[in-house]
Amino acid sequence: MVDATTQFFAALGSRGHEPLLENARGTLLVELANGAEIERWLVSIDKGDVEVSNGNGEADCTVRARREIFDGLARGEVNAMAALLRGAVLVEGDSELLVLFQRLFPSPNAVASAKG
Amino acid sequence: MSAALVQILDGNTFVVSDDRGDIEASLTDPTGLFSFDTRFLSKWVLTVDGQKLNPLSTDDLQYFETRFFLVPGTGTVYVDSKLSVIRQRAVGNGFHEELTILNHEDEPVELTVRIDAGCDFADLFEVKDALQKKGSYDTRIEDGVLVLSYERETFTRETRISSSVAGRVDKTGITFEPVIEPHGEWTTSLDVVTGLPGESYVWTKQAVRGGRKASMETNLEHWLADAPRVECDWDSLESTYRRSLVDLAALRFSPPVGGGRSLPAAGLPWFMTMFGRDSIFTSLQALPFTPELAATTLRVLGDWQGTRIDDFRDEDPGRILHEMRYGELPAFEQRPHSPYFGTADATPLYVVLLDEYERWTGDARLVRELELEARAALNWIDEYADLLGNGYIAYRRRNRETGLENQCWKDSWDSISYRDGRLPGFPRATCELQGYAYDAKVRAARLARSIWKDPAFADTLEREAADLKRRFNRDFWVEDGQYFAIALDEDGNQVDALSSNIGHLLWSGIVEKSKAKAIAAHLLGPRLFSGWGIRTLAEGEGRYNPIGYHVGTVWPFDSSFIAWGLRRYGFKDEAAQIAAGILDAAEFFGGRLPEAFGGYERSVTKYPVQYPTACSPQAWSTGAPLLLLRTMLGLQPIEEHLIVDPALPVGIGHLEVLDIPGRWGRVDAFARGRVNVGTSRGLRRQLGVAAPNAANGKTRRHA
Repeated sequence: MVDATTQFFAALGSRGHEPLLENARGTLLVELANGAEIERWLVSIDKGDVEVSNGNGEADCTVRARREIFDGLARGEVNAMAALLRGAVLVEGDSELLVLFQRLFPSPNAVASAKG
Repeated sequence: MSAALVQILDGNTFVVSDDRGDIEASLTDPTGLFSFDTRFLSKWVLTVDGQKLNPLSTDDLQYFETRFFLVPGTGTVYVDSKLSVIRQRAVGNGFHEELTILNHEDEPVELTVRIDAGCDFADLFEVKDALQKKGSYDTRIEDGVLVLSYERETFTRETRISSSVAGRVDKTGITFEPVIEPHGEWTTSLDVVTGLPGESYVWTKQAVRGGRKASMETNLEHWLADAPRVECDWDSLESTYRRSLVDLAALRFSPPVGGGRSLPAAGLPWFMTMFGRDSIFTSLQALPFTPELAATTLRVLGDWQGTRIDDFRDEDPGRILHEMRYGELPAFEQRPHSPYFGTADATPLYVVLLDEYERWTGDARLVRELELEARAALNWIDEYADLLGNGYIAYRRRNRETGLENQCWKDSWDSISYRDGRLPGFPRATCELQGYAYDAKVRAARLARSIWKDPAFADTLEREAADLKRRFNRDFWVEDGQYFAIALDEDGNQVDALSSNIGHLLWSGIVEKSKAKAIAAHLLGPRLFSGWGIRTLAEGEGRYNPIGYHVGTVWPFDSSFIAWGLRRYGFKDEAAQIAAGILDAAEFFGGRLPEAFGGYERSVTKYPVQYPTACSPQAWSTGAPLLLLRTMLGLQPIEEHLIVDPALPVGIGHLEVLDIPGRWGRVDAFARGRVNVGTSRGLRRQLGVAAPNAANGKTRRHA
């Protein structure tokens, strides 16, 4: 079974283009601590064109969190901004990239609950 | 006894102290050093030989700097002190305080000078609601620096206190024992630095706008020099204008997570944060003077636009945020402000601002950049806001515990009522929301045709707008009163009170021409017009109260948009009369209009009665004189030209606004009243007591 984080990045990479990131340009490095291991995802964004790879690289914005926190983000259970405010997610560099990137995390609610 | 509160700030860092500079806060007491919605100092008390000091004077040097002149307590009404104490305090990343003690004696003095310091790290919401803390506190001394800190799981905040002169540091403060020569002085600086330890780079790097005092002063000078100049034979208008510019500078807020741009925050000091509605309205008011505020507001609110359904935050795809907060309670999701989206007007208003911004600046590039956001906002209106399925924007909170009940600008609990005072159920579709939606569609159609090159979308939007206008004029029109209902209730029936909301409808252009005259007559009539401005709720309605927050007070921001609306429908004199009333009121408040003032009849009170409120200046009150200048001059950007079509109130002989920036470069606007009538019989001249006079005007383009 594939975990939420891997699934999130795989889906993002296979989409190739993401309209919600059309105003974004830069590289986002996501560093996830999983026990003693550090897992790295490098996302380069050029006006909505997205490439995802595993591994290190120059980044405009680095995001650090424990693996299970990011799993929560990828499942829509954890809110990125609240996590940032309480220090469960840390960000270095161009934080505007993170603001745009967090648009991609899924809804915490069942779809269509907004309709009255 | 020191009751007066003194406030200084930079960005969202601010200090509220008593008039001797001391802070002695309890959990519910709103004094302290605050930053990012957290209190970083709740105790800061200066004593000399164990005695607190008495204030002689307090000078606000700049919005970020204050000086306190103090003397030791004598216990009598006479001040005959051998010592003077000066505290000069500037807010930056925390605050910096210069403490100076002067000895006026012929003998040397030995003193014990003590600063007591402490912190409860309360969240602003806790200060408001008296909630208890869940984390743990620590106090330690590191190399002569007193460090106060708070920790809850991964959430940490700390305050570091140090002095330039070495003192004796203990866990509750710092003690100095200076000997001051005859007629000599002793001085130390004290630095209080707020911080988030560890790796919270983003806060410390981007949070500090000005940093040191010198650069903050330069920044303010540039800001003032860059804005158009106003010259007028009525001195009060010149000083109100200047006050507005300085206050707008103080209200600029750079969100700590984002591109480091600044946008207008809502109010000072408690609302120094992003607010969708307030930032948009203020940017609209300030467009002819400081268009860069609109650009940053559009960018930042666009970045944060909702993308998913989140009931806790009342978020939907395309929705523009209501309010962002940075403290402990949003961090642990005890409050939804990370950000909270519970506003029904910011989303259509976002599109309105985008179009108005382009009309002034010609910045088509930004309009192209934000096409996706604008389309998502338009989609929200039809897909997510039509809660009743009747084609109108309505609101009902999904976060029932901590969400907002009224998601329109009148957001207090009793603001929307029937004539007889009953409150409707939810969802509620207030009338001005429909006006904003109409305006958003009409304006977006222009952008779609001229910039996004999508004429089919433009046609659709125009068709929808025309249909909305037709339905609205049928469904909201209160036949027996000849005005528009304040809202439709959950059954689609009219909530029939007469309110200032009808003025916003003129501004949006949703009112059919045949109905405009009746609306203007109501707005300037005795039930809504107080002589100073438009009452939020008409006299005679069940809930009318001249000092009720949204049920009878006059809001300068509200009146300024209504004046703009009256101009839109050709009611020049009526617009000038409202401008005169609000600008007269501004003079009573030293050029700084409060959020609201009493709805009492002008002829009865003779002066505007301030509504008691914690925030001053308030951004959209600060913006009101700017918008009124625009409406008095009849400034209207038409393609590459700025049209001037003035109607000045009686009493203004001439008015010039020089160097108005826009797609035309910089132009000057002139207006001259044909009749220059002083109407004063009392001590001061007031404008709005007589009918306005016709005037002529012109522009001059710069070479």
